[in-house]
Amino acid sequence: MGSKNTNDIIILGIESSCDDTSAAIVGNGVILSNVVAGQKVHEAYGGVVPELASRAHQQNIIPVVDQAIKKAAIKQSDISAVAFTRGPGLLGSLLVGTSFAKGYALASGIPLIEVNHLQGHVLALFIREKGQPYNPPKFPFLCLLVSGGNSQIILVKDYLEMEVVGQTIDDAAGEAFDKCAKVMGLPYPGGPYIDKLAKEGDPLRFKFSKPKVPGLDYSFSGLKTNFLYFLRDNLKETPGFIEENKADLSASLQHTIIEILMDKLVKATKQTQIREVTVAGGVSANSGLLAALQQQAVKHKWNLIVPKFEYTMDNAAMIAITGYYKYMEKEFVGQNTVPYARTKL
Amino acid sequence: MFSKQVTSVKELGAVAKALIESFPGQRIFAFYGEMGAGKTTFIQAICKILGSDDYVTSPTFAIINEYSTAELNPLFHFDFYRIKNIEEAFDIGYEDYLYSGNYCLIEWPEKIEQILPDNIVAVKIEVIDNETRNIEARII
Repeated sequence: MGSKNTNDIIILGIESSCDDTSAAIVGNGVILSNVVAGQKVHEAYGGVVPELASRAHQQNIIPVVDQAIKKAAIKQSDISAVAFTRGPGLLGSLLVGTSFAKGYALASGIPLIEVNHLQGHVLALFIREKGQPYNPPKFPFLCLLVSGGNSQIILVKDYLEMEVVGQTIDDAAGEAFDKCAKVMGLPYPGGPYIDKLAKEGDPLRFKFSKPKVPGLDYSFSGLKTNFLYFLRDNLKETPGFIEENKADLSASLQHTIIEILMDKLVKATKQTQIREVTVAGGVSANSGLLAALQQQAVKHKWNLIVPKFEYTMDNAAMIAITGYYKYMEKEFVGQNTVPYARTKL
Repeated sequence: MFSKQVTSVKELGAVAKALIESFPGQRIFAFYGEMGAGKTTFIQAICKILGSDDYVTSPTFAIINEYSTAELNPLFHFDFYRIKNIEEAFDIGYEDYLYSGNYCLIEWPEKIEQILPDNIVAVKIEVIDNETRNIEARII
């Protein structure tokens, strides 16, 4: 970024809500770096020393922040504020990020910004990359947030004003993918394997049950059970049933999950009269889902916006960008802020 | 020994109430049963009995969900399905939850067998057919 201008707003974002530790730098709304902890980070620090009660985030957080700052080519003193994921997520993991962010803000004498993880997923749509085209959605828009832990339809009125209009009452869509994949003997997480196999299969070969949940809420638990029993019954007669029908099973399962997701999303667009539609979360990488979204977009004249894959997964860039918008509104928090494991938007 | 046969989801509320009342001093309940047996569904019914209005969803991804209850203390809903080794349970600080004195409802306790406290309630959900389940509970 070169030397800092006094008007520059540079945000350090920290995300530690679940498995991955991540840090990112956003300068004036443009992403400068986004580092997610992996083995490479450890390598730079001489490898991981296993220890029974070690907390992975504790090991990762300093190297990850350090790398994010270096990659962004800024100085620590350039940072205007620290944004961190306050929740929802695993309390132990959140505590590491929260404590680090507080310490950093206190030591540097800069403001502290709390970010709701789910809000971060939505605002990931506003991440701007240097030299890349920038097509953010226009308010108000609907966001289908689908991941291993969430399946929600969110009505987004402004950067910091959003409302969940529909959500799962049991399993998440990503979980339905993963658990059905497991039953078929595929590795965990199985979503990407199902997606790959589905390309070779017939999506209409097998029919699975669709839930009858009122309103805009989702349910995937019944489908999981239905799929399980279907396999069990067929395996009794044909021991090689899964092996012989892997592609068709994957295609039919994926087709059903996507239909469930689409039905409520279409319903939501009709109820709200909003045609600006977006998707967020890890499952949005599913090629079948993207194809279905594009199809519905043409049919219902939506303006569909799909984020770049790396920003759909858990990452700190989305926390930093949310931090940026909160900074503009001066939405800061004090040192007495504690993480929360579960929250509504 | 607590033992009930359930033939419809509608009966789960009554069974959940009976289970909680049968073990008044107990706070940790471990739920055993194959995938699709209805562990999360039964836990939804229990949470309602304990006075939670929250959306009770599967914590497979999050590992732990926290819900508000009629009492001041929250209740914890665990799912250890996706953990690969016991260190991951240490990583999430399981002790803080299991020894909190709050209700802890645990799915896939098999995955953390060696660190489960003694004197907890084991709830076994057995699939009889597509609609029918046997629910048994005892202190282990």
